[in-house]
Amino acid sequence: MTSRREFSPQTLSVLAALCAEPSQWHHGYALATQTGLKSGTLYPILIRLSDRGLLEACWQDEPLPGRPRRHLYRLTADGLASARAALAEAAPAEAEPARAKARPGVSPRRGRGVAAPSVP
Amino acid sequence: MSWLGQAAGAAGRGAVRVVPAARRDWAEAVWAEAHEVPPGWRRLAWRAGGLGLMAEEGQMARTIGIWLLFAVAAGAAAWGAWPGSPVSHGAAVQGGIIMTLALLVGLPLLTRWVLGPPGNRAARLLRRGFYAAFLAVMPARAAIGMFLGAVPRSGINRHVYDVSQGPGVPGSSSGGTDWGGEIAVLVFTACFLAVILALTARRTPVAPATLAIGVGAGLVLGAVVYAMAPLGLNPKFPNRPWLHGSAAETVGVLAWILVFGAPLVAGAIAGRRCHVPDDPAAATVAHAWQGFAGGLVSGGVGAMFLTVLGDGTTALMVRSAWVRDVVYHGQHVTASAVYGRELYASQNVSGYYLLLIGFPIIGLLMGLLGTGIANPAPRLPEGGGPNGPGGPPGPGGPEPMPDPPDGGRDIDAEELTILVGGPDAELAAPTPELAHC
Repeated sequence: MTSRREFSPQTLSVLAALCAEPSQWHHGYALATQTGLKSGTLYPILIRLSDRGLLEACWQDEPLPGRPRRHLYRLTADGLASARAALAEAAPAEAEPARAKARPGVSPRRGRGVAAPSVP
Repeated sequence: MSWLGQAAGAAGRGAVRVVPAARRDWAEAVWAEAHEVPPGWRRLAWRAGGLGLMAEEGQMARTIGIWLLFAVAAGAAAWGAWPGSPVSHGAAVQGGIIMTLALLVGLPLLTRWVLGPPGNRAARLLRRGFYAAFLAVMPARAAIGMFLGAVPRSGINRHVYDVSQGPGVPGSSSGGTDWGGEIAVLVFTACFLAVILALTARRTPVAPATLAIGVGAGLVLGAVVYAMAPLGLNPKFPNRPWLHGSAAETVGVLAWILVFGAPLVAGAIAGRRCHVPDDPAAATVAHAWQGFAGGLVSGGVGAMFLTVLGDGTTALMVRSAWVRDVVYHGQHVTASAVYGRELYASQNVSGYYLLLIGFPIIGLLMGLLGTGIANPAPRLPEGGGPNGPGGPPGPGGPEPMPDPPDGGRDIDAEELTILVGGPDAELAAPTPELAHC
């Protein structure tokens, strides 16, 4: 099982976006919009996920007239399982700083937050 | 903004080509997706990110670093070799330097286009070693040429010079512009470099181990022959300041053994390492190819190593007094005798060119012989049966293949493209010979 420490916050945000509709194919620009990541950050993440067999990619069959074919992405079965586990682990870890912030005398952990959606 | 976007688009389409084939889809994906991004700064930022991705995936930083290193080394070599004072053959020397650098830059690009980039780390290291050798030889040869061209004004040195070379103009260089010699050296350099680049290209099925074996054997060969002839090659009157008497004879015998033995052993080991199960014909070809390459590399490396050491020693000797002291340590030699020996060595270093041709030829022949001895071709039984000539007759060979339905067309255009190393040949599976070597 993949532990949360293997994924950066940015990767978790991509996984969360892909997990939202796991059976659908996603476009790069849509993922970038959902996660707020730049292309130079998003695509290396997609490449690493693909290298690890967690993501499948293919080219669009029928492009719109006058437009180039788009590259599509979807989590594999392994990728979906890993993503769900990682996001489930991430959710309480994200909630903990919030609780700590509410308690005086306990400093919250530093780090970029991930808006993990509810795991389907 | 539009021209900026168009420029970024053009840069990206060009940059996609530098990304390795396995990653090219991703680079193209970023570029295709840019059409979905609203035009303006956002699209430009998207494309900038794509260029960053290509730089990272294409290992551009490493490539740029290597090119910068080469540029610095080439600049230093050219600066060292550039004629410092006006001499009559200066134009030829300058032309030779410029053309040599152009060859060092242009030939790898041509080889990459035809045979692909270097296939492995051993191939890259071998190429870098040869490049370093070419760049080291360039200023050494220039220093020797300048020394050889400068005619002493008078005295005993002038007499020594006249005896060795004939009369010239005192205090200047001798002779006219030697364009013929420079062109011959350039043609030779181009051929030598082309062979090395071809042997180390991806579409040439030479295993990394074969290259390593060839380099090892070549370095031993070069070092021993250098001990025999450190100051140029002259079989009639050898100049060996470090070896005397029986030691010289012993090293001489060892050198002769290694000239033929090193590539023989390299070819035998390289061929022996190659296993192609269940296909005797492919195995024979693979063994022969690895043996050929192992012997050729050992001969080439040996000759180049010897040339670098010998040219370097001679160039340093004519330039530095302390090197002369090291070379003739403990010997009482008069100034005119030293000059005579320097002149003699400077003339004899051109003999290394003969070895740069001869050693690789001997190497490839001995490499083939070595692999033939170590890996004899499997003997097919007579009549196609399994029992051989001494046993009872076998069941006979296989039936001849029926004619193909398309009238003898055995290979289609796509297969041929891959076989001759077409555009997508890099993606093809490694050749069977190489896969097991």
